[in-house]
Amino acid sequence: MNYQSPERRRALAADYAIGLMPPTARRHFERLLDEDPELRKDLARWQDVLATLTDTLPEEPVPDHVWQAIVARIDPQRLHVPAKRPLWTGPRMAALAAVLVLAVGVGLALRPEHAQYATTLVSANEQPALRLQAFNGYLELDPLSLDAMAKDKSLELWAIPAGGKPVSLGVMPTLGKGRMKLTERQQALLGAAVTMAVTLEPAGGSPTGDPTGPVVYHGQLASL
Amino acid sequence: MLQASENDTLRQLLVDCAQGNRRAFETLYHCVSARLHAVALRCVNRREVAEEIVQESFVRIWHNASRYDPQLSAPLTWMTNITRHLAIDQLRRRHEEPLSDEQLHSLSDEAPTAHEQLASDRDAVALNRCLEELEGMQRQSILTAYFHGLSNADLAAQMSAPLGSVKSWIRRGMERLRRCLES
Repeated sequence: MNYQSPERRRALAADYAIGLMPPTARRHFERLLDEDPELRKDLARWQDVLATLTDTLPEEPVPDHVWQAIVARIDPQRLHVPAKRPLWTGPRMAALAAVLVLAVGVGLALRPEHAQYATTLVSANEQPALRLQAFNGYLELDPLSLDAMAKDKSLELWAIPAGGKPVSLGVMPTLGKGRMKLTERQQALLGAAVTMAVTLEPAGGSPTGDPTGPVVYHGQLASL
Repeated sequence: MLQASENDTLRQLLVDCAQGNRRAFETLYHCVSARLHAVALRCVNRREVAEEIVQESFVRIWHNASRYDPQLSAPLTWMTNITRHLAIDQLRRRHEEPLSDEQLHSLSDEAPTAHEQLASDRDAVALNRCLEELEGMQRQSILTAYFHGLSNADLAAQMSAPLGSVKSWIRRGMERLRRCLES
């Protein structure tokens, strides 16, 4: 196709804007858009012209449940993670703390490299489920007691900075044990008080890049 | 067309959303949800489906706010396109025939409230004048393609017209609309 004549470009931008371009031509056009600021301007003008077609539609108020559904989807950790309870009072938690101190101690003694952060992720009913340690460039996972899981599901690990969105650290090893490599960007997310959460996702991980399933385990990183 | 200050506000809200600001997101929702709902409803003409589309639109707006490029489109145009594409995908998946424009028109003929009347009067005069300038077939093919996502071939079938005519109605109609709105 000839994209050079101004009339042709303008016509193609119009087709693209209204949605009449077949898929192959659309992809080709999108590649051209990336390289061509003039074509982008042409398209923008068409899109604004077409958007005026919606100006005369009377506004339709949206029922409240829609907003609640949106919040639940963009903020799964707030919906599913149980409210904090005073964990450190019961004898069970004291025992757990002792085990953790020991585990960290043994870990430090055996490793030439020190973990920077660590946490124990707990399940929805506060049972310790998974030990997580963050090293420079990777995470080390040790299952304590993971729930049985369907074969067509994967566990995906997320870092949730305070006030921010969950960022995937990847799909966990099948049995919950092993190393997960971190990119520099993922590494930079880790820090004290960052929430770690594991969600149940379709096999291979979330198809959307954002959590889609319930939070099954969660915990907060602590500096070591 | 929206006033410049409203565009600025929406643009800033999107910038704040891109940084994870939930309060900005809530404000944005209050500003534009009724408008996106109207767009979804115009496309799919079913209330429960339109509500799902609004929900999906805002989830996408939140997660993709950082991809919004102010050089490329006005903020409401960008959001409207997200909603419209979702609605059209939904129509294609469901293979449901949307109502014809005449039927839709009779449905939306209920008297608008005073508030709606004011809100739409502000922008609609120019558009209505420009739409009226179009010939019937030009107007109908543009509206059907835009709101229902029909291809040229589907349009030709639905309007019982040759493919070449449909293409030229749309092309000439769009040029006329643009010239008229920009004049």
